[in-house]
Amino acid sequence: MKKAEPLLKVRDLRVGYEVPGDLVVPVEGVSFDLNPHEVVGLVGDAGSGKSTTALALMGLARPPGKILGGTAMFDGRDLLSLPDDEIRAIRGRDIGIIVQNPRAALNPMLRVGRQIGYAYRAHNRVSEAEARKQAVEMLRLVGINDPERRVEAYAHELSGGMAQRALIAMALSSTPKLLIADEPTSGLDVTIQAQFLDEMWNTVQKTGSAMLLVTQELGVIANFCDRVLVLHQGRIVEDAPVRQFFSDPQHPYSQEVLRFYHERSDGFPEQVSGGAGFLRTEQLTKHFPLRNSDKVVQAVDKVTISVAKGEAVGLVGESGSGKTTVGRCLMRLEHPTAGAVVLDGQDITALNAAEMRKMRSRMQIVFQDPFDSVNPRWTVADILDEPLRVHEGGDKAKRRSRAIAALEQVNLDPSLMQAKPRDLGASTLQRINIARALICNPEFVVLDEPTSVLAPRARNSLIALLARLQKELGISYLFISHDLTTVRYLCQRVAVMYLGQIVEEGTVEQVFSAPQHPYSQALLSAHLMPDPTRRRVDHPVPAALDGEIPSPIDVPKGCYLASRCRHVTETCRANPQVLSELGDGRTVRCERVVKGEITPEDFADA
Amino acid sequence: MLLRYITRRMLIGVVQLFCLVIAVFFLIRLLPADPVSRLVGLNSSEEAYAQAAAQLGLDRPLFEQLGIYLGLYPEIAPGLLQGSLGVSWATGSTVGSEIATFLPVTLQLITLAFFLAFAVSIPVGMLGALNPGKAADKGVFVYSLFAGSQPEFWWGLLFVYVFYFQLGVAPAPLGQLSPMTFPPEPVTGFMLIDTLIAGEPAKFVEALHHLMMPVITLAFILSGPIIKMVRQNMVRALQSDFVLYANLVGLPRKRVARYALRAAMGPSMTLIGILYGFMLSGAVLVESVFSLGGIGQYAIRSVLAFDYPAIQGVVLVITAISLVVYLLLDLIHAAIDPRIAY
Repeated sequence: MKKAEPLLKVRDLRVGYEVPGDLVVPVEGVSFDLNPHEVVGLVGDAGSGKSTTALALMGLARPPGKILGGTAMFDGRDLLSLPDDEIRAIRGRDIGIIVQNPRAALNPMLRVGRQIGYAYRAHNRVSEAEARKQAVEMLRLVGINDPERRVEAYAHELSGGMAQRALIAMALSSTPKLLIADEPTSGLDVTIQAQFLDEMWNTVQKTGSAMLLVTQELGVIANFCDRVLVLHQGRIVEDAPVRQFFSDPQHPYSQEVLRFYHERSDGFPEQVSGGAGFLRTEQLTKHFPLRNSDKVVQAVDKVTISVAKGEAVGLVGESGSGKTTVGRCLMRLEHPTAGAVVLDGQDITALNAAEMRKMRSRMQIVFQDPFDSVNPRWTVADILDEPLRVHEGGDKAKRRSRAIAALEQVNLDPSLMQAKPRDLGASTLQRINIARALICNPEFVVLDEPTSVLAPRARNSLIALLARLQKELGISYLFISHDLTTVRYLCQRVAVMYLGQIVEEGTVEQVFSAPQHPYSQALLSAHLMPDPTRRRVDHPVPAALDGEIPSPIDVPKGCYLASRCRHVTETCRANPQVLSELGDGRTVRCERVVKGEITPEDFADA
Repeated sequence: MLLRYITRRMLIGVVQLFCLVIAVFFLIRLLPADPVSRLVGLNSSEEAYAQAAAQLGLDRPLFEQLGIYLGLYPEIAPGLLQGSLGVSWATGSTVGSEIATFLPVTLQLITLAFFLAFAVSIPVGMLGALNPGKAADKGVFVYSLFAGSQPEFWWGLLFVYVFYFQLGVAPAPLGQLSPMTFPPEPVTGFMLIDTLIAGEPAKFVEALHHLMMPVITLAFILSGPIIKMVRQNMVRALQSDFVLYANLVGLPRKRVARYALRAAMGPSMTLIGILYGFMLSGAVLVESVFSLGGIGQYAIRSVLAFDYPAIQGVVLVITAISLVVYLLLDLIHAAIDPRIAY
């Protein structure tokens, strides 16, 4: 296969856009080959030009961008110099593409089936009825249940995973020779991501297409790709088979990206001793009333967690599981419907406004989006000064030196003091958010997905920083994340949430090496470990979960997982499950596990 | 579902109208004006004054007046509940019949103007959006700036000067028909329809000819904001992800343009509704230039004469029409965009 004529030959591709008086060229000289039937990963930081490259292969650039030069030979023709109607004929027929944010990519005003039909009819001379039949067939092929009904749906009626499948159905309807997938799973939950990638991989195998998979996630690369292209500063800096890439990366950038994975692969974080229950919640519950209805959204349901002094506890689960609400209740940004939050023996839900204000210097939070968490008009100095002014006062010079010390603590240069948020990158700004959270020496910090908007390299260094700060300062963390790799690296203990409840809680080692609850098993098996020697596509995965998370408005009567669990029995559906302690100190919410009817063995093979 | 929505909107509309009637009723009476002395003159005797006041019902307590207007005392005079808008103090004929003669003139004028404005604006706006920065786009920009920045009566006079006085292609701006023509029996009040009902196609053509200039003037003014809005919405739609993706799957150019147009039309509906409601009374300047007796002129006349029932009637009718237009446009918007739920 290697020696065969490449399907696509890209040479010296350049894409840029003009800013007044200058030309910015984010893609400057990209060259690579793609062979038939091959799955190739294209990795790189955010802003490295991956998506721009993918679009340029279709002869398009997002305005004001322009394709400046280069060739992309496909089927003996240069895609970049074809006239409009010829390239239109190739798009969708010979090269299919799926993009990030699938719901926005679907026309919101047309039924999905009709859109797939249009795409099919643009390249095939068929009647409307035949196009519709093809749409149903394609939806069935990409794993959508009940495709006859789904063709009638509008984009806003589909979940993210479903919309992404509809895009795939559209992209593959004319069985193209090449499928370009531009971060197809960004924004999807891990369990859905794994399901989707499995199905996409299978479909591509069935249709015999080659695939260019653009992604930031090493886990996706390791599990689904044959070959890796690394895009850095607008050029391909590494082109290697996937195993070689992971075992022996050549370019310094690749080495840096992979270093973290190599370092952390052995051992779990050390357990801390003492100060148990420094922060704890007791039966914490939060309901949000629905407007014009008596119903409530049951966001958090009797959650009891405990974080020891100096300990990091991970809180993991799909979106909609209530993790963020727990974090916000801990900070009293939301007032819990019931239950208590106890910090150092004091129930903070009972404090009055003045006492709470004082308490806030002892507990802090870092949010997901670094840009949304700061005032865009303030300088870094203003941002860092605010908590000191509120909580400590003191003279200006002293506060300023504290702010500079805080910057240095997060490995930033004091020269940034006069910078404004828009001058800074996401990872620098997130460090400033962390510095702001730590500046009043809090004892407890909630980290609400602090790394999820960062590129892998920035994510790695931020996690390393958080681990160092925890050791040096002895702070307790509640680390909310859906990225299991970082949880495994940073946390001592982990709690798995599903639909507002904790379903399993234990040390990271216990939960990660032998998850007990069927949901934890599914979550972990859906997690794409960046390890090309144990590829998902080579081993069928047993613990996969069907369907999507149920609505927190009408929660099931019995076990909340019953509709998706493959171990389900009639008793599970009827009886609410309770958290029970197992012999080794962990707790699990599943009566079948407690009775020993489900073992983690079938997971270990995966 | 749809029927329920329409019913609900209608009911809400009735409540809105009711509140409006009450508000207008009292607000008018807050005016520092004396309609009675306006009628009988400042030097009239006290008896004559009292008699006139009694005739208008102004000697009764305020709430009784309101009750009569609403139609709670049909034995004294028919009111809103009986479908009557009352009797004009200035002319003595019923307000309902007067509005019925004036309103169709305006409705006919602005509806035709809106259709014409639309027919011109959509392709022009699309052209601008599809070729941003090109000559066509710049022309559109200059036009919409120009058309919107001059008062409409000025354009009307200019058009009269050019097309009637200089070129002679337009008739004299003297009403719906030429003064020598005998108007057809008013059935609907809409001149174009009435001439057809009367079976007089020659008069139909004449009416159309007379409507030409005012309609073009109004459409010329209206096109400015509509083109701008279509272009703006279209540009936004063309930059959206789903249009990019439509290009990526190789849909024909025409289909992509239709995707974008449909996306652009939805939000435009709101502005159309506001413009239409505004034009109901705002067309008065153009009506005056072309001597068309429309509802705007009737409203001004009523205000100047302190003709309370007429003022109330005009406000009520214009509001009711606006509400119906809003409802229709909301229904069209919902038909264009399935994300709009009833």
